[in-house]
Amino acid sequence: MLTVDRREFIRASAMAAATLAASRTSRAVSLPILEEQPEGSPLKWQKAPCRFCGTGCHVMVGTENGKVVAIQGDQKAEVNKGLLCVKGYHVGLALYGKDRLTRPLLRKNGVLTPISWDEAIKTIAARIAANPKGFSFYGSGQWTIPEGYAANKFVKAGLGTNLVDANPRLCMASAVTGFLSTFGVDEPPGVYDDLDKCDVAIMWGNNMAEMHPVLFSRLVDRRTRGEKITIIDMTTRRTRTSDLADHVLFFKPHGDLAIANGIAHLLIKNGNFDRDFVAKHCNFRQLGTSEDPKAAPDMLGVPMTLDEFAKAVEPYTPEKVQELSGVPAEKIRMLGDLFGRRELRVNSLWCMGFNQHTRGTAINCIVHGIHLLSGHFGKPGDAATSLTGQPSACGTAREAGTLCHMLPGGLAIANPEHRKHAEEVWNLADGRISPKIGYHAVELFKRFNTPTDQGGDITTVWVQVTNPGQTIPNLQRNFLKKKGLADKFLIVSDVYPTATTELADLILPSAMWVEKNGMFGNSERRTQQWFKMIDPPGEARDDAWQTIAVSHALLEMGEAGMKDKSGKWLFHTADANGKEVPIWDWNHYYDVNVDERLFNEYRAFSRFKHKDLAPYQEYVKSRGLRWPVIQQADGTWRETRWRFAESDDPYVAKGAGFQFYHSVTKDDKALIWFRPHEHPPEMPDDQFPFWLCTGRVLEHWHTGTMTRRIPQLHRAMPKAYVEMNRADATSLGIRNGDLVTVKSRRGEIDLPVWIGGRGDPQPGSVFVPFFDETKLINLVTLDEYDPYSKQPDYKKCAVAIIRKA
Amino acid sequence: MADSPNLSRRDLLRGKFRAGEPTAPQQTPAPDPQPSARIGRRFALPIHRPPGAVPEAAFLSGCTRCNKCIEVCPVGAIVHAPERFREAAGTPMIDPYSAACVMCTDTPCIAACEPSVLQAQRPKKMGVAWVQHMACLAYTGSFCTVCSERCPVEGAIEVKLGKPRIREDICTGCGVCASVCPAPSNAIIVMPLADRP
Repeated sequence: MLTVDRREFIRASAMAAATLAASRTSRAVSLPILEEQPEGSPLKWQKAPCRFCGTGCHVMVGTENGKVVAIQGDQKAEVNKGLLCVKGYHVGLALYGKDRLTRPLLRKNGVLTPISWDEAIKTIAARIAANPKGFSFYGSGQWTIPEGYAANKFVKAGLGTNLVDANPRLCMASAVTGFLSTFGVDEPPGVYDDLDKCDVAIMWGNNMAEMHPVLFSRLVDRRTRGEKITIIDMTTRRTRTSDLADHVLFFKPHGDLAIANGIAHLLIKNGNFDRDFVAKHCNFRQLGTSEDPKAAPDMLGVPMTLDEFAKAVEPYTPEKVQELSGVPAEKIRMLGDLFGRRELRVNSLWCMGFNQHTRGTAINCIVHGIHLLSGHFGKPGDAATSLTGQPSACGTAREAGTLCHMLPGGLAIANPEHRKHAEEVWNLADGRISPKIGYHAVELFKRFNTPTDQGGDITTVWVQVTNPGQTIPNLQRNFLKKKGLADKFLIVSDVYPTATTELADLILPSAMWVEKNGMFGNSERRTQQWFKMIDPPGEARDDAWQTIAVSHALLEMGEAGMKDKSGKWLFHTADANGKEVPIWDWNHYYDVNVDERLFNEYRAFSRFKHKDLAPYQEYVKSRGLRWPVIQQADGTWRETRWRFAESDDPYVAKGAGFQFYHSVTKDDKALIWFRPHEHPPEMPDDQFPFWLCTGRVLEHWHTGTMTRRIPQLHRAMPKAYVEMNRADATSLGIRNGDLVTVKSRRGEIDLPVWIGGRGDPQPGSVFVPFFDETKLINLVTLDEYDPYSKQPDYKKCAVAIIRKA
Repeated sequence: MADSPNLSRRDLLRGKFRAGEPTAPQQTPAPDPQPSARIGRRFALPIHRPPGAVPEAAFLSGCTRCNKCIEVCPVGAIVHAPERFREAAGTPMIDPYSAACVMCTDTPCIAACEPSVLQAQRPKKMGVAWVQHMACLAYTGSFCTVCSERCPVEGAIEVKLGKPRIREDICTGCGVCASVCPAPSNAIIVMPLADRP
């Protein structure tokens, strides 16, 4: 009889596990690729992108008897190749918190009272009809593309205002202005494939190990395959990313501008910039004579020559940069040398560290600039890529244009030609789209929280899929003041009670994620699609349906704006026989695929700025496609990975090498901007001696309304804290776990101190996560914003730390 | 397995793989000489006792089931052992998967123990935790450091290159790591000590 010694068996198993762990995808268990309908099982597997961050991982969702019962990483997905992060593995549980909202609730005499959907829709329609110019939509990068598109059309075509904004204003706006002012068109030229090809990855204030763990894994996993990769972590705080970095460069808050300018200085001074690339493909630009941030923002700037640019960056010597940023001069030289070596592939990555910045547009532009200057552009691995935090910040807010200054397809309200194009697509009368830009997020909530007779002209706000009651900076001023203002009306569509529903006058229960059809667009221009798999609980309904139903109610009330110039309703939907389907009636909403209907209409916009999208059915078949998606001669659809590069982008002319076909200067060249270093608006002083930085943690996604209801994630990270440097804590007599007050000029909260925890801030700074709705750190933050993108700075303000007795 | 007649399950659990070999690299004390740890022909099931517990035989005979330790535990970690523990049913134990011991510095359970089967001078070692690499997020390509962050015992879980390792000599088996592990299937196994020193 063949016997296996137990020790041998244990050894053999351990070996098998070790081999698998070192294999390509780092999965300890090699799982078969799932068939969507395994035989003889009631379990049905379908694809969907993960509900959480902007990485855009795909999951396989297992449903049985109308419930999501299993989640698995999707092996067919290029983004994550079967891997998920801790949030992704539990994403299914986000649907099943105990306190899902299931009925529309209207506040009557201060008490939330259940009402019918019919009454809820009529209430909203009446509110809007009474004062359409006082109504604003406020959505998010979690709107699916069709939902955002519907809200956008409802406001811009239906009401003739531009009063719709979304939370990517708090998240991605500076990346948008950075891309626009450099390339003349939004969104990264590079893709995630750059992570697989680069030799050097630079994290610019970006804690990728916690915020985009699957992408960071894709990067560091290359080391286990024996590939050499240098990770440089530039940060103000030691993080989990720093633990795996080759070089950790600590800089003073706001020092990033000096560092990037220092690299430009060295490239010019050492003469190792890419003269040929710059001469062929780049123009230099600087701001007009006035650098005054209060002056009207102008993203066009004035031209400058290479010599003038050289002179402008001349003062940023490594020594000067060391003084401004705190990074040692030799490390700046190291960065300059890396950028100067053309044979290396350099991938810059950033997220909120750059974007939530009062000089966000500037720092975005400078980093694009040093990549262009050094020629580290457009070759696989050479890219400057901004990562997004929301699943469809790109797809919905940036591409479908749900911002107060934009139209779908990357069109701008300010451009008469763009407005005209939108009027044509929507079949509207000439001049129907207002040229007046609406209110951006912070301005919108400021006005909503100002008495109407004192300039607060916004009286009704409809919030969908986001939680401004927790995320708007300086909450006391910008959100909580609404309490005493009787004529203000807040409508909130959500799935759970949140800090925002606390103040809502009307709450609408929404369907979420796989309870509805949807489409997302991730950080690398990938458009993704999924189908409804289960029914929403109770009376919860789709966000897009809510918008469409209100639009129809207004149509019935005789609002002319809800019709196009041929007299057809804006959301008119016909079946295959041309017969109208009453999609405003929930019972008939799923008679047709409304997502497909809206997407097909929206597709017409995508060609104007070469962001071509494929037909809906192509997305059904794939795990997402990266635009521009171009039809080939054989009828198949091909996605584009490296934009503006002849090697991959079909819009680049043959022989051009690179072509920036949306160039601001209309000569197919990108702009290299000079933007000086400047001090932030609020800096620590005697009274408020610490820098405060806020952010996310691995286990929780944004305001935690979903992840805090998932027991495993809640247990792993139950409450907010303030991270302090040990030296600072010692000097204030504070021990680990002590309760302290974090106080700024605007507000204060009490938090326990965590020393030597997950992150370790530099001396003189503290960090607080914002996921915990019981500890609203945005009572403390500053509402100053970038003058171009209007994005507030959540990463820098001055606070005092006071030990509680 | 059938060919190792001298190898008991208990030996295996203590890391001894072959009869006659010295036991395990970590210092497991010599087997309990008191035969009363055996009940009839069968071994007593290892049970996760509160900190500072005396050897199992003495515990079973000494514990008066007064419930004082259960009442004073600030986190409700001490519960009655269920029926499957046979002769130990009803005595105080910890189920780290529902509520872990948090290693209080003032050990109210020990202070409350009248028959002194929990003793302050004894090592507060209840068991040992193991990370199952197959289930651990940090070992399967994702990132996670929750167990090491929340571990109440300084130095018991080290993180090297993002991967947690448990120092068996320092770990007390309190089970906090198991109670906070967010992996889809819990990656931590907490084994009660088979023999307490």
